[in-house]
Amino acid sequence: MKIIFKIWRQDSPAEEGMLKTYEVDDLTEDMSILEALDHLNELLVLRDEKVIAFEYDCREGICGQCGIFINGRAHGPHDQITTCQLHLRSFNDGDTVVIEPWRAASFPVLKDLIVDRSAFDRIIESGAYISSKTGSAPEANAILIAKEVSDTAMDAAACIGCGACVATCKNSSAALFTSAKINHLNSLPQGESEAHKRVIEMTSQMEAEGFGSCTFTGACEVECPESISIVNIAEMNARIIKAKIFG
Amino acid sequence: MAINQHFFRKTIIAGSGLFLCVFLVVHLSANLILVLPAAIARGLYNSYSTVLRESLFIQIIAYLLYASILLHVIYALLITLKNRKAKPQKYALNHYKQNSTWTSQNMGFLGTMILLFIVVHLANFWARIKLGLGAPVGLDAAGYQDVYEITNSLFHNIYFVCFYTLMAIPLGFHLHHGFKSAFKTLGFYHKKGLRIIANVALWYALIIGIGFGIIPFIVYFK
Ligand code: HEM
Ligand code: SF4
Ligand code: FES
Repeated sequence: MKIIFKIWRQDSPAEEGMLKTYEVDDLTEDMSILEALDHLNELLVLRDEKVIAFEYDCREGICGQCGIFINGRAHGPHDQITTCQLHLRSFNDGDTVVIEPWRAASFPVLKDLIVDRSAFDRIIESGAYISSKTGSAPEANAILIAKEVSDTAMDAAACIGCGACVATCKNSSAALFTSAKINHLNSLPQGESEAHKRVIEMTSQMEAEGFGSCTFTGACEVECPESISIVNIAEMNARIIKAKIFG
Repeated sequence: MAINQHFFRKTIIAGSGLFLCVFLVVHLSANLILVLPAAIARGLYNSYSTVLRESLFIQIIAYLLYASILLHVIYALLITLKNRKAKPQKYALNHYKQNSTWTSQNMGFLGTMILLFIVVHLANFWARIKLGLGAPVGLDAAGYQDVYEITNSLFHNIYFVCFYTLMAIPLGFHLHHGFKSAFKTLGFYHKKGLRIIANVALWYALIIGIGFGIIPFIVYFK
């Protein structure tokens, strides 16, 4: 199988980048897109050219490292998967595949397809923790939590911080990510004592990082590999109001 | 304490937007008088319009309305500019239509069309009736200002009929997204409720869009 890749090449944050074309033969449709990039990099090494920098870790859809923009969609043409879960069978022999890094002022390009997502880390540091004693494991039934509550918290906790929501959003809003992190902790009794502080600190940090504001286009929940619902953002807004009144 | 500027701005846009949504319902209902036969419509419309103009309550509502439009437009402009700055570099290839509606991606453009309409609309009516600019407004048989005649003559000009009708289209689209979005902005997060609101938004946008769009035509052919 043959694919014509058009891939964003950029040496450093300061330099201008551009799309470069690579025709790659001898691919099979069972390869993941990351494996195809590995294959291309091997060819580049043999040709004594610089390899393409891209991120990954688990290659099984759980770490959130592999985010890239493929053929006009975050993580490629399918809804709700990661890049490493995308295979060449989603394309046809001879197709052109355009690969770009996430685009957002708050995610500057470091090199080729790698962007700096530390803005997410700083949002987490600003409030996505609980300050309770972590010694040995507590008795499992010491705090009883209703099934629906734990389901809500676990659904939100599924966010892997891939950044697809920011990448796909026309406003580069980080509202889906931030709301998932807030609702995860704020819906559980363990997170309650810092609930108001958390929502204000984390949303303020989100703004300070330069992400845009949410206008509910809904693109994020379609591209999110963890199917985090946009309703989380509405819930975050309700929590901001509560924090302003009672916090 | 942090200010939460995003939230503050969007809350103003949503609050003023929903207030304008309520206004549109009242405004459309009153304008339906215009499609009645001329003999009944003239008296009804002119007395209705006079009652409104002279009521203190309506005068207060009118100022709320001006304020809503101004706040809505100013804050919409501010967040649109800020949001653009958050995405300085666009993708070479972006199939955004596969994950969101065109409307939701172009609220600023649709809003600008509505603003253009509002300016022309105010020049047509408000400037003549309230500010007394342009040709003086006549009186009808009952001695009321003949506002009916202003609409009637305006909507016998095919260019204005087309303009008013075409401009109802961006309004309908803007409302379809805006109505749904506003509730989420204001923190309504009940899943089933949001599905109901999405349906209401569609019907609301259709009724308002078609309603305002069709009245000029009916008057033209009356
Ligand atoms: C009758 C007039 C109008 C009504 C009823 C209306 C209604 C609304 C509503 C309900 C929203 C949703 C708020 C939210 O998402 O929280 C909205 C958003 C917005 N409106 Fe309007 N609007 C009107 C006129 C305008 C005008 C004249 C402009 C601009 C010049 C404008 C620009 C915007 C923008 C940019 C947004 C934000 C959009 C977004 O969510 O992406 N609107 N409008
Ligand atoms: S909310 Fe979804 S798209 Fe956004 S960072 Fe988390 S997992 Fe990725
Ligand atoms: S490499 Fe871990 S999610 Fe793709």
